[in-house]
Amino acid sequence: MPLLDVKNLTMHYTTKMGDVHAVDDVSFAIEPGEAIGLVGESGCGKTSIALTLLRLLPDNAKFLGGSVLFEGVDIVRIPEEEMRKIRWRGISMIFQAAMNSLNPVYRVGDQIIEAIQTHFPIDYQAARRRVAELFDLVGLAPELMDRYPHEYSGGMKQRAVIAMALACAPKLVIADEPTTALDVIVQDRILRRIDEVRKELNMAMLYISHDIAVIAEVSQRIGVMYAGNLVEFADTVRIFKNPAHPYTIALMSAFPSIKGEKRKLQGLSGEPPDLLRPPSGCRFHPRCPYATAVCTESPPEYREIQPQHYVACWHPHLGRS
Amino acid sequence: MLISERVKIEPLWKIRLRLALRSLRRNWALFWESRIGPLGLGIILFFVLLMIAHPILMATVWDSRVYDPIVGFDRALVGRHPAPPSWAHPLGTDPIGRDVLSQLMWSTRSEFALGVTSALITVVIGTLIGAICAYFGGVIDTIFMRLADLVMLFPFIALLMVLRSVIHLDLWRLALVMGILSGFGGITITLKAQALTVKVKPYIEAAKVAGGGAFHIIRHHIIPNIMPLSFLYMMFNVTGAVFTEAVLSYFGLLDIRMSWGIMIHTAESAGYLGAFGQYWWLWAPPGAAITLLCFAFYLVGRGLDTVVNPRLRKR
Amino acid sequence: MLRYIGWRIAQIFVTFFLFLTMVFLIFQAMPGDYTKQFIMNPKIPPEARQALAERLGLTGSVWDQYLHYVRNVFTGNLGVSFQHYPREVWDVIKERLPRTAVLFLVADLLAFALGYPLGKYIAWRRGRISDYVVTVTGVLFYTIFTPLLAIILLFVFSNVLGWFRSGGFLTPSLWLRPPVSPQTVFLLLTATICGLLGLWAGSHFLTRRIGHPRPRAWARRGLVALGLGLAGIAWGYSGIGSYAWDIVWHMFLPVLAVTLISFGGTMLLMRDSMLEVIREDYITTAKAKGLPEKVIRDKHAARTALLPTITNFTIGLGFIVSGGIVTETMFSWKGMGLTYLEAVLQQDFPLAMGCLTFTGILVLLLHLVVDVLYAFLDPRISY
Repeated sequence: MPLLDVKNLTMHYTTKMGDVHAVDDVSFAIEPGEAIGLVGESGCGKTSIALTLLRLLPDNAKFLGGSVLFEGVDIVRIPEEEMRKIRWRGISMIFQAAMNSLNPVYRVGDQIIEAIQTHFPIDYQAARRRVAELFDLVGLAPELMDRYPHEYSGGMKQRAVIAMALACAPKLVIADEPTTALDVIVQDRILRRIDEVRKELNMAMLYISHDIAVIAEVSQRIGVMYAGNLVEFADTVRIFKNPAHPYTIALMSAFPSIKGEKRKLQGLSGEPPDLLRPPSGCRFHPRCPYATAVCTESPPEYREIQPQHYVACWHPHLGRS
Repeated sequence: MLISERVKIEPLWKIRLRLALRSLRRNWALFWESRIGPLGLGIILFFVLLMIAHPILMATVWDSRVYDPIVGFDRALVGRHPAPPSWAHPLGTDPIGRDVLSQLMWSTRSEFALGVTSALITVVIGTLIGAICAYFGGVIDTIFMRLADLVMLFPFIALLMVLRSVIHLDLWRLALVMGILSGFGGITITLKAQALTVKVKPYIEAAKVAGGGAFHIIRHHIIPNIMPLSFLYMMFNVTGAVFTEAVLSYFGLLDIRMSWGIMIHTAESAGYLGAFGQYWWLWAPPGAAITLLCFAFYLVGRGLDTVVNPRLRKR
Repeated sequence: MLRYIGWRIAQIFVTFFLFLTMVFLIFQAMPGDYTKQFIMNPKIPPEARQALAERLGLTGSVWDQYLHYVRNVFTGNLGVSFQHYPREVWDVIKERLPRTAVLFLVADLLAFALGYPLGKYIAWRRGRISDYVVTVTGVLFYTIFTPLLAIILLFVFSNVLGWFRSGGFLTPSLWLRPPVSPQTVFLLLTATICGLLGLWAGSHFLTRRIGHPRPRAWARRGLVALGLGLAGIAWGYSGIGSYAWDIVWHMFLPVLAVTLISFGGTMLLMRDSMLEVIREDYITTAKAKGLPEKVIRDKHAARTALLPTITNFTIGLGFIVSGGIVTETMFSWKGMGLTYLEAVLQQDFPLAMGCLTFTGILVLLLHLVVDVLYAFLDPRISY
């Protein structure tokens, strides 16, 4: 049974100017211990999905349909009290911009201990030992436990936030742009660490990023999101070698290749659509070089075109398998 | 063909007007959403109506010998002043025989004048100082900030109590004094902080590179960007000014002919405040009026706060 | 920390000096040189006038007078009151000050105890009806015309209910032959209140060992209740308990008035502060960690929101003093405020100057205490 099974998830935000269709009919599954990447431009809905998984959405978010089965339980429909128990213990999250994830008036160690003591009945000293272990895991000196967040550097804060996310040994960790705010060298180091830790603890991970290079390094399978839809989902190699959806193809062409012949970089013209009034039919059709009449009329079905390779497109590009 | 011949270019002022109207509409929607802002505005409107109604009443229905707020006297009720409310005098009469409602309405004008003038002066001074301190920093900054500390240290009302012996405090002088004193106080600190956030923006740097002098930048870039906040603080200053005047009038320390505070003062010095319930129309209407006007302006201020400060909005 | 305090005290000295100068200049600007005023005062016998004039440094140039004045302030010689001749200004102030202190201490504590939780709760319930109702009520109390509130309170309590009939701060008949002066009682009351405050603050430290928040809060409350009980017993057995109670009884209405006015301000401040803090990422993180709502609201949001509230408090100190003048007058509470008003109205300049000077000192000291408190509460401040 998959650890996380998202089926036809649809939600939107109610704003003064209308409804923003942030997530539309998204389905995917994560097996225990698997690392999945979710890539897409800003505003494509990836963070909304992450927040939905933990039910941290703001008040104006409306859940419209679908289900999210975590270990068989539909966590979208259970009462708040039940959800509280699952938060952090079953699913935890590493937020974007760790700088602000830590409360400035409490010690870092105490904030992690707080998370642990909420879910496990252990005493302060035992919790401290656990935090020391976690710090060791992420590469932070244990003395730093008693320091305040403003005494940490950016990279250290990120590590602390990672340690905090791992504190209750969750089954699934969502990492939302965990390294965007860091410089490239630290980014690389942290990414590697995250991956090592994941393998060691056999946790499932959902990486979210706009940077496909980062995603590719750490994910086994990648989901490509565009304008609230999941347009393609396959394992990493296939995404790079045999992209089926025109958007994915465009993403790949936007990368210079070290090997192979020299070719001109092809960007993608136009802009992502306004989700207040998304285009009819397939949301990508205004920018798609292969669009036909049917693409403007009805949204394409999300189906499996090849084993473990899902695409939502009327004219998926089927290359060599 | 030149572009200017092919494309119809709108005059700059038209564009500015259109943008201003658009942002006005948006801000009004936000203000309306705060709920308390419109409530305050409604109350202010009520007082404006009172203010307008008075001269009309005096010209039509009310006999000026009886109803004049300062020198009127109702001979019909002589010996029974202060008389309780009746059809002729909806809010009764004061100890000297003047109609209370007339006094209330007439004073509205002076309260508005005082409040708005004083607040305007405060805000103009505060904005200028705030902008200058933020832009120049250094010694100028330190001097004004220390001055602000000093001004805030002084209990305002206490100071005015002493000043009245020096300056003959009528309405306009009071407004001036209050305006100037407050202008150098806490408001400069807040506006300076705001001006600082503007100063570090890239377009200031760009303006400097393009050759803009200090005063040009202050006038055209910094001040327009802190004006929303200034306007906001003006509301709170009106509250303070009306309140201060009322308190000082109540203690009989001012040289104003008629104001709400003076109405209560008259009642008190004539000894009618001892039996509270009996002569309620002497203190309740003016007291309520003072409270309501201060209340209203404060609410408007808070309503504007949600417009100016996005974090306080509902969404 | 000590260095920070030292630096702040130095700054205070400078500001105080400027303040003194301003006070002096203001009173110098009084029409008719106040020395003549003084000399004309019929209450003072002619022989003593010259001697007094010299003693107070009223002879000599303005500059001499200024120096004399400054020196006097620092040696505690604030001059002689015109009204209460021959009592010294310092004497009068010493008598009146504790009354103001007790009143405002108690009222501010109550206002805070009311405003802080209220602000906390309604900020959490942003946008619901309760939010608007409470906010509007808070603003109403904050902007109410003080004399109006005083009259209403007096009306309700004295006239309608018949309690607290007399004004002032004690029942004269009770104090015909007291074993101690009201002065002493006030001082002891102030001491008791400060002691209890200290106990409350200290209880945070003493209960450190207890890990879990719930039992710890109860332990703290228990300690304070114990202190309260001990204080009550001590007062009861001291023999002057009934006098103290008389004063407390008279304190009720003025305290109520000041509390009602101040709590609005505190509550609004707290609410605004909370609303800013709630938007922060660490609140979302706290929710993601699975913490219960109350914990997020109280431990994370409110605690951090407290800091700007404290800073804003210092800005309002000047207004609190002004407000004090009005309240004390309305309730005939013979404290610093009333004294100042009377002094000004009677043109008793030494007393008025003395009051202002003293108020300045107090406000500055309070400033210092609050700054230190802030530095203590916010770990980001380095000193």
